[in-house]
Amino acid sequence: MLHQADPGDPSSPSREQLLIAVARDRDQEAFRALFRHFAPRIKGYARQLGADDSAAEELVQDVMLTVWQRAETFNPALASAATWVFAIARNRRIDRARQERRPELRADDIAPFDDVPQPDHEVETARAASRLRTVIGELPPEQAEVLRLAYYEDKVHSEISAERGIPLGTVKTRLRLALVRLRRAIGGEA
Amino acid sequence: MTRTPILHPAPELLLDYAAGSLREVQALLVASHLAYCPDCRRQVADFEAFGGVLLEEVPAEPVSVGLLDAVMARLSEAPAPPPTPEPAHPIRSLLPGPLRRAVGAEPEALEWVRIVPGIHVSAWALSVGTASACLLRMGPGSRVPAHKHTDCEMLLVLKGGYSDEHGRYAVGDVAAYEPHTPHHAVGDRDGECLCLLVQDQPLVFTGPLGWLLNRGIRF
Ligand SMILES: [Zn+2]
Repeated sequence: MLHQADPGDPSSPSREQLLIAVARDRDQEAFRALFRHFAPRIKGYARQLGADDSAAEELVQDVMLTVWQRAETFNPALASAATWVFAIARNRRIDRARQERRPELRADDIAPFDDVPQPDHEVETARAASRLRTVIGELPPEQAEVLRLAYYEDKVHSEISAERGIPLGTVKTRLRLALVRLRRAIGGEA
Repeated sequence: MTRTPILHPAPELLLDYAAGSLREVQALLVASHLAYCPDCRRQVADFEAFGGVLLEEVPAEPVSVGLLDAVMARLSEAPAPPPTPEPAHPIRSLLPGPLRRAVGAEPEALEWVRIVPGIHVSAWALSVGTASACLLRMGPGSRVPAHKHTDCEMLLVLKGGYSDEHGRYAVGDVAAYEPHTPHHAVGDRDGECLCLLVQDQPLVFTGPLGWLLNRGIRF
C-alpha cells in the first residue's frame, strides 16, 4: 500500500513514489500522505517569508492543489519530490504575494536551440540531496546565512547587503564560496 | 549557431532566480539566458535542489485541523491540467521562450523607436518597480551613444553580436554593467544585433545628444 510515508520504515513508499501514484492512479491516499508531509513545511516556508497564518494556509492549499493537478509533470530523474514541491511553492508564492509573473523556462523552450552540443546534466537526486544536507550543515555560518536569506527573506543579494550593513562585495564573496561548496556536493566535482 | 554562451549572469543572480527572490524583469533575462545555456540550467537545477533540502528542514508549522479535508473536497473541482501547449513543430523564433511569451510578438512585428541612426529600442517594454526591460537593435556597425547610468544594466544578445571596451558579445552572452560605468557598444559590421536590455533606472545620456535623448525617451 502506498499510504504512509514513514522514513524509518524502508518498506514505506518514498515521496517520489507517492507523487507517481498520484500522477498515474489519481491515488487520494497517496495525496493525503504527501499533504501530511509537505503541508506543514510549506506553511513553515510561507511563515518564514513573512506570511500571516491565514495567508500561509492559503498558500498551502494552492500549492497542494497544484501538486494534485500537475503531478504528471513530476520527473524523478530530474528532481526530488521536495525540490519539485519547492519550485511550485516558490512560484505560487511569487504569483500571490508579489503579483508578478515568474518568467520560466519550459522544456520545449530548449528545442529551438537544441543544436547546443552538451546534453543536460541529470542530478542523481537522492544522493545529491543527502550530500547537500551535509554540506549545508558544514558551511561557515556567514555563508549559510546569505543562502538562507535569498530563499527565506525574499531578498536579492543587493538588498541583503543594504539591510544588514554588509558590503555588497562581501555578500557576493560569501555567496560564491557557498556556491562552490554546493556545486561540489551536488555534482561531486573536484 | 552551435556555440554555448561564454558570458553568464552572475552566480548570485542564478541563485536569486532559483530561490525566487529575483524580481520579474531581471528574472526575464535570466530565464531567457537559460534557453541558450546548459551550464546555467544545471546551476539553477542545483540551487532548486538546495531549495528542496531547505523545504525539508524548515521548521514545520502545524496546519489547521480542517485544512486537509478542505483540500480533498476541492480535488474533484480542480480542473484537469491544461495540456502544455507543445507546438507540433518547434517554433522557429528569434526570441527564447520566456521572452517570446513576455513580448507576445516577433521583433519584426513590434514598433521601434529610433534613438540615433542605426540604434532602435522597442516600444514594447516591461516595467516592474524601478526595473525595466526592452529590446535594443543595433544596425551593422552602429554605435550606441555614450551614456552613463545610475543602476545596473544588463544586455542579453539574441541575434548577431556587438563589442565594447570590455569585450565582445555573441548570441546568448550576458553583459553586465555596474552603475556609473560608461560603455560604448558597437554592433558587429556583418549584420544586425538584437539584444534584451534590462536596467533598473532610467539612463542619463552624456555627450552632445544627451539633452535630446533624455527628453521623453526612457532608454
Ligand atoms: Zn549561462
